[in-house]
Amino acid sequence: MNLVNYKPCVCNLCGTGCGQFLKTDGHKVYGVSPLIAHPVSKGKLCIRGWHSNELLSTNERITTPLIRENGELREASYDEAIALVAARMQAFDGAAGEIGVLASARSSNEDSFTLARLTRDVFKTTLRGIGAEAGHRKSMAALEQAFGYPGAHGSLTAIDHADYILVVGTDITRQNPVIGGNIHAAQRRGARVVTLSSSRTQIAKLSTKHFQEKPGTLGLLVNALGKALMAIRTVNHDRRANIDQLPGYADYAAALRSISSVALERASGIRYEEIEEEAHHLEQARSIVILFSSGISGLDRPTIDAITNLALLSDRMDHPHSAVIPVAGISNLQGSFDMGMSGELGNSVFKALATPDSRIRALFVIDHDDGIIRDKERIAALDFVVYACAYKSAFMELADVVFPLPAYNETDGTYTASDKRVQITHKNVDSRHHVLPGWSLFERIANASGQHWGYHNAAQVFKDIAAHTRGYGDLSHELLSKGFGQHWNPQGFAGCGRRKFNAINIEYWESPTTPEFPFALMIGKAQHYWHQNNLMRKTIVPRREYDQTLWLYPHGYIEISPDDAVRLKVRDKWLVNVRSSIGTHMKIAVKISPDVQDGTAYIPYFIKNMISDFLLPYENAYAAGEESVIPIQIQE
Amino acid sequence: MSMSMYILSSGEISALVTELQASYDVYGPQVEPQTKQVFFDQLATPAALDLEAPIPSMPVKEILFPQMERILKYKYDAENQSVAMSKQYFERPKALFGLRPCDLSGILVLDRFFLGQEFVDDVYLTHRRQCLLISNTCLHPFPQCFCVCTHSGPDADEGFDLDLTKLQDGYLLRVGSEKGQAIADAHQWQVATPRHAKEFKAVVDRSIDLFPEMATDNKAWVAKVMNRITTGFVKQETWEYIGDQCFECGACSFVCPTCSCFNIEDTQTACGECERLRMRDSCSFEGYARMAGDHNPRQPVEDRRNKRFFCKLSYPQSKKYLRPGCVGCGRCQWVCPGDIGLPNVVQYIRREITGGQN
Repeated sequence: MNLVNYKPCVCNLCGTGCGQFLKTDGHKVYGVSPLIAHPVSKGKLCIRGWHSNELLSTNERITTPLIRENGELREASYDEAIALVAARMQAFDGAAGEIGVLASARSSNEDSFTLARLTRDVFKTTLRGIGAEAGHRKSMAALEQAFGYPGAHGSLTAIDHADYILVVGTDITRQNPVIGGNIHAAQRRGARVVTLSSSRTQIAKLSTKHFQEKPGTLGLLVNALGKALMAIRTVNHDRRANIDQLPGYADYAAALRSISSVALERASGIRYEEIEEEAHHLEQARSIVILFSSGISGLDRPTIDAITNLALLSDRMDHPHSAVIPVAGISNLQGSFDMGMSGELGNSVFKALATPDSRIRALFVIDHDDGIIRDKERIAALDFVVYACAYKSAFMELADVVFPLPAYNETDGTYTASDKRVQITHKNVDSRHHVLPGWSLFERIANASGQHWGYHNAAQVFKDIAAHTRGYGDLSHELLSKGFGQHWNPQGFAGCGRRKFNAINIEYWESPTTPEFPFALMIGKAQHYWHQNNLMRKTIVPRREYDQTLWLYPHGYIEISPDDAVRLKVRDKWLVNVRSSIGTHMKIAVKISPDVQDGTAYIPYFIKNMISDFLLPYENAYAAGEESVIPIQIQE
Repeated sequence: MSMSMYILSSGEISALVTELQASYDVYGPQVEPQTKQVFFDQLATPAALDLEAPIPSMPVKEILFPQMERILKYKYDAENQSVAMSKQYFERPKALFGLRPCDLSGILVLDRFFLGQEFVDDVYLTHRRQCLLISNTCLHPFPQCFCVCTHSGPDADEGFDLDLTKLQDGYLLRVGSEKGQAIADAHQWQVATPRHAKEFKAVVDRSIDLFPEMATDNKAWVAKVMNRITTGFVKQETWEYIGDQCFECGACSFVCPTCSCFNIEDTQTACGECERLRMRDSCSFEGYARMAGDHNPRQPVEDRRNKRFFCKLSYPQSKKYLRPGCVGCGRCQWVCPGDIGLPNVVQYIRREITGGQN
């Protein structure tokens, strides 16, 4: 007998994929409860998950299609809005690059799959992308090279059993707290947890060992671990024929041998002896889990290559409790990549928008966090912009036609978590305004453009996903409704099982800081909310927590070490002028933190001016993600 | 009053549920079929009631003090400068059937907080008035339980209208209030014998024996830790050790049967009306203790953490609640990603007292 008021579903607020119950009468959501039997979250939720009811009952919803007329958005019927979109879009030449499509990493697989179909068959464009994917494509490319398929190796549940857990960079107790909790629990049961992070994050404090390297040297440090591991085996005359014979090994080994301990220490601040000691632990571990963050704040390609190489070199990746997982900040980043919404390399929507003489004239956008609208002027100047989202957002102002979408609990849909676990959420609340699910909206736009797909429900869309998406062949809504989802099957990729080392270059990172710009500024480290800004602004308690920081530091803050504060003669909350080497500047308050190294500074991602005025001119800062460093000066 | 006792068959229990459904919204423990998770929620049918289910995953306070509720609606008429207001919470008679003693103790603490002090909270009162409380003795502890340390189980000794204990012959029904007696008087239930009273005592003793050593052994320690916390002798390092493990999710407060903090927020609806929402809050959040002028007396996480344990385990708080603020249900241990549920905190303070021994 099903319960009257509690309905199980999958939390949609990060790439962990925790199980939750929503308390609902079928019309409104009143509360949240964790799902104890869930294999990953095991009855835990983070601040975001515990407050999803606040998001799901916000009044700031888009409730009906809207059409811009004389500069103002007015309500419209689906028929009118869909006919308008179909007619206007037909006038653009997608094949010539006139139409760009930006998918959402929060959409269900069903929505992303049908959007990909719309993009390909109706808009006929290859100019597509996922809002915040930049880093994820790099993770996928590195993993595909290493393991033969673009996805995580192993499962998040491996954390609960592994001997050794390596956290590279990510502030995981903030970004994916439930994974952070599982790592903490592993440490307490005796697993060795090692964090590489330039600042003293919470997970660094909870780790068995924290290497606090200088910014920009994560990859070097991972490679140095590889070198030390190889050296131990040489000393022990321990030849691993299976590893030695993998393609790329010789070049990788040669590169590792070339690492100089002196140069390593100078660049990273870490002594090679410490690395050697760590490599002994790594060598003794029977199962190893490596985690790094993927997506817009993810790592650069050389660092990810260093990670996948170390994983292969460890020779432990066949153990059932080993894993290499690119941890996503957004719920269905992996799924939207799997559904083919990721753009082609060098052909990105943002690049088209940023290139003044590109041919882009129309844009079709799902979700999009308002804190990071790039190239706003260019978007405003486009001929036609369509926007679809469940919640009101600043992007509506740029749109000619706006469509509402259901919230994640108002429609059936599947979501693929960071470790490839595909899970289903069944509709448990009636959408108050008869909002069409994304797949149905896209199908109707296709209909109006003369194509008929014949989908009647999400399960039917999923049948097509299973038929056309590698790895998804064994899955169906029926299967996923039993238990807690299933990882997609890497055997669906021809290359699965083929392993290969990525080519690496040993570079001793020279800090770009100069006597004039002596601080290495890092971005991305923040409180709980940066990557869910548009959503978290619509909650109540998490929003208060978010504002709490901004109230204390209304102009945002830059974190520096206590000693640097003394040198600069500034105190906490004092405003300083921050000037970068390319001339951008901003006024921001100082936050003094003992967790930060001397000579480094951190600014959280979510501060608006930071993105629009300060960071955006740094194209390569976006590209380098978590490891990007901007030389700055700080003056009182 | 002297306590009357009866023996009821399973059939009579079911019949009682059916009968109560005529005049009450009847809530009880039930098992969600797919996940096997237990919820204490409204019963669709008497058959959904499972009196042998483990303690519910969420505390019963959800019914009296929901995670989020709309308490007021108002609309400002600018032209006439008038406000139309209507309250959004309504009184319904509720029967809470099969409360575990920890959850019953939780309700008593909430009663003393919301109703027993200087101010009476009208929203809580409205939900609480006309509640029939029917408790259910735990025949054995569930994995995370430690109510024997906090004087709130495995059997209930105050606050119930009716209390059930499963014995060999059926359910022993103890009457705890006039309201309960009125219900009993309306039935021809078999009166319990001294043999049943003896069996009841044996059942409770056996249940206490079944608690793990860790829990029973902690009994005196909870008192000792209360002393330490009250006198402020817990070392700052211990609070920092605990604070470092806090993920600031708020889960402990949301699942605690006695946590009563809430937040109020007015939000605008689409049609120009305003709704006043009340939602549970947690002292683990940084924004919770922020005051006007940006002063925050509890900014570091360890200060926020120890506030919570102060609330659960200090004499001044216990004086208010007439019992410890912790009812030993162990749910905080279940949901905490940092593994600093209250039993662990007691362990850490104990370790500090003994200098690392035990």
